[in-house]
Amino acid sequence: MKTFQVYDPPMCCSSGVCGPEVDPKLVRFSADFHWLANQGVAVERYNLSQQPLEFAGNPAVKSALDNDGTACLPLILVNGNIVSKGRYPERDELARFLGMDEPARPAILPVLGDGSCKPGSGCC
Amino acid sequence: MKFLTQPPRFLFFTGKGGVGKTSIACATAIHMAENGNRVLLVSTDPASNVGQVLGVAIGNQITPIPEVARLSALEIDPQAAAQEYRDRIVGPVRGVLPETVVRGIEEQLSGACTTEIAAFDEFTALLTDANLTAEFDHIIFDTAPTGHTIRLLQLPGAWSGFLDEGKGDASCLGPLAGLEKQREKYKQAVQSLADPQRTRLILVARAQASSLNEVARTHGELAKIGLRGQHLVVNGVMPESEADVDPLAASIRRREQASLAALPGVLKTLPYDQLPLMPFNMVGLRALRQLLNEPDGRGTAVEDRPVDIEAPGLSELVDRIARDRRGLVMLMGKGGVGKTTLAAAIAVELARRGFPVHLTTSDPAAHLSETLSGAVENLTVSRIDPRVETENYRQRVLETKGATLDAQGRALLEEDLRSPCTEEIAVFQAFSGVIRESTRKFVVMDTAPTGHTLLLLDATGAYHREITRQMTDKSMHVTTPMMRLQDAQRTKVLIVTLAETTPVLEAANLQSDLRRAGIEPWAWVINNCAAAAHPGSPLLRQRARNELKEVEAVATHHAHRYAVVPLLSNEPIGVPHLLELLDTKLGQAT
Repeated sequence: MKTFQVYDPPMCCSSGVCGPEVDPKLVRFSADFHWLANQGVAVERYNLSQQPLEFAGNPAVKSALDNDGTACLPLILVNGNIVSKGRYPERDELARFLGMDEPARPAILPVLGDGSCKPGSGCC
Repeated sequence: MKFLTQPPRFLFFTGKGGVGKTSIACATAIHMAENGNRVLLVSTDPASNVGQVLGVAIGNQITPIPEVARLSALEIDPQAAAQEYRDRIVGPVRGVLPETVVRGIEEQLSGACTTEIAAFDEFTALLTDANLTAEFDHIIFDTAPTGHTIRLLQLPGAWSGFLDEGKGDASCLGPLAGLEKQREKYKQAVQSLADPQRTRLILVARAQASSLNEVARTHGELAKIGLRGQHLVVNGVMPESEADVDPLAASIRRREQASLAALPGVLKTLPYDQLPLMPFNMVGLRALRQLLNEPDGRGTAVEDRPVDIEAPGLSELVDRIARDRRGLVMLMGKGGVGKTTLAAAIAVELARRGFPVHLTTSDPAAHLSETLSGAVENLTVSRIDPRVETENYRQRVLETKGATLDAQGRALLEEDLRSPCTEEIAVFQAFSGVIRESTRKFVVMDTAPTGHTLLLLDATGAYHREITRQMTDKSMHVTTPMMRLQDAQRTKVLIVTLAETTPVLEAANLQSDLRRAGIEPWAWVINNCAAAAHPGSPLLRQRARNELKEVEAVATHHAHRYAVVPLLSNEPIGVPHLLELLDTKLGQAT
């Protein structure tokens, strides 16, 4: 069985409600994460501010943090190898990482609109 | 005193900092012990003056008080409890992961929620472990958990997310992660709280509309969760005898009595006690015994000499602010210290001097913006309703994030959205549009985010910066709200406090929180200062004398520059009364 691990940046919650905005990418990714689990992939997800030991204990993750700081997060590992840094890939990309067949359309479309960043709002 | 009759096993005192709940809790503990009960007093007072008050060093262990038979005390430092939690999480990776990474984790764990839950964790054993407290008849707490904490503990989803998998969604339960074995204990603790046979909750307020409204909110929130054994105590009421001898005391009494006559409806049904304003600080056994035991002797104030104070007034700060001709002025401080009024006074004075000013307030009463709109040339007034902003933000989040969640997850997200951080972020987002105007004019705000919120906002800013860095278009400019506030050329943060121990301490905490975010407060303002009002009433004179050491501490220890605003006999509504706040000489006795 393939393993799929996600090492999230320090978020006080994975919903992002404590940040200035709810990141729609996080919403989408959470759904994709559960989809992978349902496909029989062994999935794990760690938050730096809650399980820092998991980060320190994984040599690949620790070395990425040593080099790039938290900017390298989120890290995505497949079978222990880093396949993606600093972003949340789309579902079809995740499927490719795992050598799976082209996935069906996501059940939940990414949410755009109010949750996203507006020019001049100060967040970007 | 109704709140002392037939007391249950647990008594909790709750109310804002500075209303006197620690004093009343101490007095209650002494009173009950001297009436033959074995009493444990538990204090979370950040000033930790219980030890000082009782004349014995108390720490995080049950300590018998030699001066009072049958009384023991225990001090819980919520900050230390939160630090212990942070150390537990961060300690093992310190020196292993890069220093910047470790600091980022610590900031995530530095919110108000972490402190609160960590303190509740310390309470749990006292509420549930019968062996630990077997030798006591009553346990008195000088604080109570908030509705937010209790509701989180009641949500089954919070536990399954955080404890069973260790990867749940609830931000505010973070501090309990890894404590699964205690799950049953938390449940029992909440059950004890909700049982009027075992627990009485005493709401402590001052005789001011804002304080009473605040207590009414707390009452409603905790009653909804099931904490029904509630009492109301109004502390520090101006006695009639003082009103007879001093016009300032008389007008304070009139204002207080009017607030009490207009008591919020939900509070009217509660058993109710009133405690008079005392001439002395509540330090020492004698003072504390008098608070509840000697109604005849307590009104006698000893101070008959006038009290004088040499301190800069608010107009001197405005002089300095006016030099820059534009910029952002933010007033920060705990609720009830008068931020909105002072923001209005500063804005009105700047406008009167001919500068364009935008005053923006989150004043829930709204009467300020109504009385000022159009009243002064150059002054624009706008109002942001925190409730509306927070509700909009909640709806937005629930529609986006909430759409994908099951019922349990949704309940959890809804609770997260009731956390104090959420309101702060929602309001700050609404304000951030106005902030940009400060390049052209003065923008005066009566609210500001805490350092913790700014650091969280900036963490996202850092993420955005990183994204920008990876983009080919290097011309894109990134400014986070924190970067704006760190710019001393553009932003002046004024910390507002009162000349009393707990408010000054809370203001100092606020300041260190801001410093953590790289923001240096520009000045402190001490509001409602009796000493600056040159009162004739012996009681107010005694209080004025007590204020001097707090003013001194602010002047020499806490602030780069400061101003003192006198206690006024008129409620500062409308332009002429607001301008009175600027001049300390106006309160001079004639």
